[in-house]
Formats: sequence, C-alpha cells, structure tokens
Amino acid sequence: MTARWSGPAFGLVAAMLVAGSAAAQRLDPRLERLDSSARPIVAALVDSARAAALPTEPLVQRALEGATKRAPAERIVAAVRRLALDLGHARDALGPTASPTELGAAAAALRAGAPPATLTELRRIRRESLTVPLAVLTDLVGSGVPVDSAAAAVLSLAAKARDADLVEFRRAVERDIALGAPPASATATAAAVAAAAVQVNAGARQQRPGRP
Amino acid sequence: MFEPEEELIGRVVRQLRRPVAIDAGLDARVMEQIARLPARRTAGPVRAVWRWLIRPRAIRLSPLGALAIAAVFVAVVLWRPDRPSSPAPASARAFGFVVVAPRAATVSLVGDFNDWDAARTPMQRTRTGESVWTAVIPLTPGRYRYAFLVDGVAWLADPTAPAARDDEFGAPSSVVTVGGS
Repeated sequence: MTARWSGPAFGLVAAMLVAGSAAAQRLDPRLERLDSSARPIVAALVDSARAAALPTEPLVQRALEGATKRAPAERIVAAVRRLALDLGHARDALGPTASPTELGAAAAALRAGAPPATLTELRRIRRESLTVPLAVLTDLVGSGVPVDSAAAAVLSLAAKARDADLVEFRRAVERDIALGAPPASATATAAAVAAAAVQVNAGARQQRPGRP
Repeated sequence: MFEPEEELIGRVVRQLRRPVAIDAGLDARVMEQIARLPARRTAGPVRAVWRWLIRPRAIRLSPLGALAIAAVFVAVVLWRPDRPSSPAPASARAFGFVVVAPRAATVSLVGDFNDWDAARTPMQRTRTGESVWTAVIPLTPGRYRYAFLVDGVAWLADPTAPAARDDEFGAPSSVVTVGGS
C-alpha cells in the first residue's frame, strides 16, 4: 500500500498525538477540590506515580477523602505520599504484573505489618486475584490477630480457596473473637474449618458433570 | 528567391551535427563566475517550513503497519492510566449499606467508589420517622474505604465492617472488599 501524505497531514497527526498525550497528563479535575497549597504537591505525586507505572486512582481517592474530611493540607499530602511509597513497595513484592486493585490491597497489608515475603509467597501460590486474600490478611491484623498467625492462615488457604471462602473465614474469626476467643487461636481454628470446607467444595466441583 | 525547404533543413542538420570542441577550462571558468555572483536571497524560515510541509511524500506502508499506527494513535489519545475504570455491569455486584442514625436529618454514603462526594449517594430512610438508613450501589471487585456522613458534619464508621487502619484524617473510615470468585 502506498500513500501520499502531505506535510500538513503529518503535522495534523503529530498535533493529535501531542494533544492526546497532553490530555493524558493534564491535572485531574477532581483535584480542584483540594486547597491551593495541597493541590500542586498532590498533582506532582500523582504524576510521579504515573511515571513509575503505579496506580494513581488510590492516590486521588486518598486526597479526596482528606478534602471531604476537611483535613489540613499537610496531612493530606503526607497521607498521599505515604500511600505512594506503600504502592511502590507493594509492586516490588508482587511483581510488575500486579493489578491496580491488588497493589492497593497489598499496600494496606504492608501498612498493617505484613512482611513483603508473605505477599511474594501469595503471588507464587495463588493464580487468582490476590485482592481478597490481602484484604482478609489486613482485616485480621486489624481485628487483633498477630500478623504471623494471620499470614500463616491466609497462606494455608490461598492456593485453593475462592474469594467467598476467604471472606467467610474472616467473618468466622471476627465472630469468634467477639465471643471472647483469643485472636490467634480463633484464627487457627477457623483456618482449619475453612481448609476442610475448601477441600470438600473442591471435590464437589471436580465431580460436577460437564465441567473440565 | 527562396531556397528549397529540403536544402534548408539539410544545411541546418549539417550545422547541428558538426562536432563542437569545448575548451577544457570551461567548467572551471563557469564555476568561478558563479562563485562571484552575489549570494541569492534565501527564503525565510517560515517559507522554508511551509515548503517542507506542503511537499508531498510517498510512503510505502503495509496494511499491518497502517493498523499498528492506527492502534498506537488510538491508545495514545484514549488511554489514561489513572482513569477510573467504569463499572463493568458484568462484574459489578450490588452492595447494600445500612447505618442506624437516630435524629439524623440526612445521611450520605461517601467513599472511594464515589470520589468521596457527599452529594453523590444520599442514603434513604427505611421508613419515615425511623432511624435506619440504607443505600445500595454497584461495586466492581476491589477494596474500598468508606464512611457515613451524618447531617453533613458528623462522620460515622460502619460498625459492621472492618475499620480502615491507616486513617490519617482524624475521622473514622471502614473498608469493604468485593471479591471476584
């Protein structure tokens, strides 16, 4: 195929490319809700995250949360900066293929005290999304479960459990803690029950006719 | 009076076919004369650019190459890495939020799913005069922070959901995680 393009056509295409790029880089209009001292710093942090191929939406949402809660500018900036660092550490632990939602959940898990090695191990053993296992890990730690116990339980379930199984496991732990069980033993007990249920469910799924 | 046309043509042809001896130094003299000429006024930069712009060019392009260029163009113009993904109806699930807020005149649900905009998701009373407020919104898989805003001033976390640990803003938030399997 041979095409004859004039200079203006080249120029038009180049201008459209530049305009497209500029549109991608312009300030997110939602950040107009920030006050004038926080806005440029948050915008710069968002740009830096974008340049590092990190998800920027969590940063924008954290800034908007601060603005809606009328937090001082310096606290908003500090929160966004800290989240950006956590997202970077999360990506280091999970690898470059991690999805934005996985990175957000991993950042929260790291902030809760989960070791990066646990995140890397989760990535290795689970083929499905890590968002829910990481969220369950974070929530367990938030409920008072020691991070080692929470990590061991989630790792023991993550390979075969569905998201719904993990959420049910978390609810069981929280229920037992509310009833007075020590967090670590509540976690171990619920993990054993959940593992048995996962085995039964997996067997039932395998025996279901018409499925590979 | 006039010579015949054939003779005239023959004479001209013979004259034209006569070997011409060119001086060996002719080239050098011509170039020397050219060098002495005043420099020709060059066109302005604007004119040069315009000439460059309007000069047609032939580009050989395979159909595959054309498709690749089109794909790159579309990607550059349309792709924004920070653009929030629009909720995909296939993967979105309806989530109900409930809070008890006696004496509240208005309650809003705000969170990562609505840009923390208090006007976006007003909650509804279950019945007039009762203190239970509800809202149902579609959520795609992910982890969301949220809170309830009562009468536009008071923040409430969801007592039935895990608390957000990293709460730097002095008002409580909760988290909800939406799974995909």
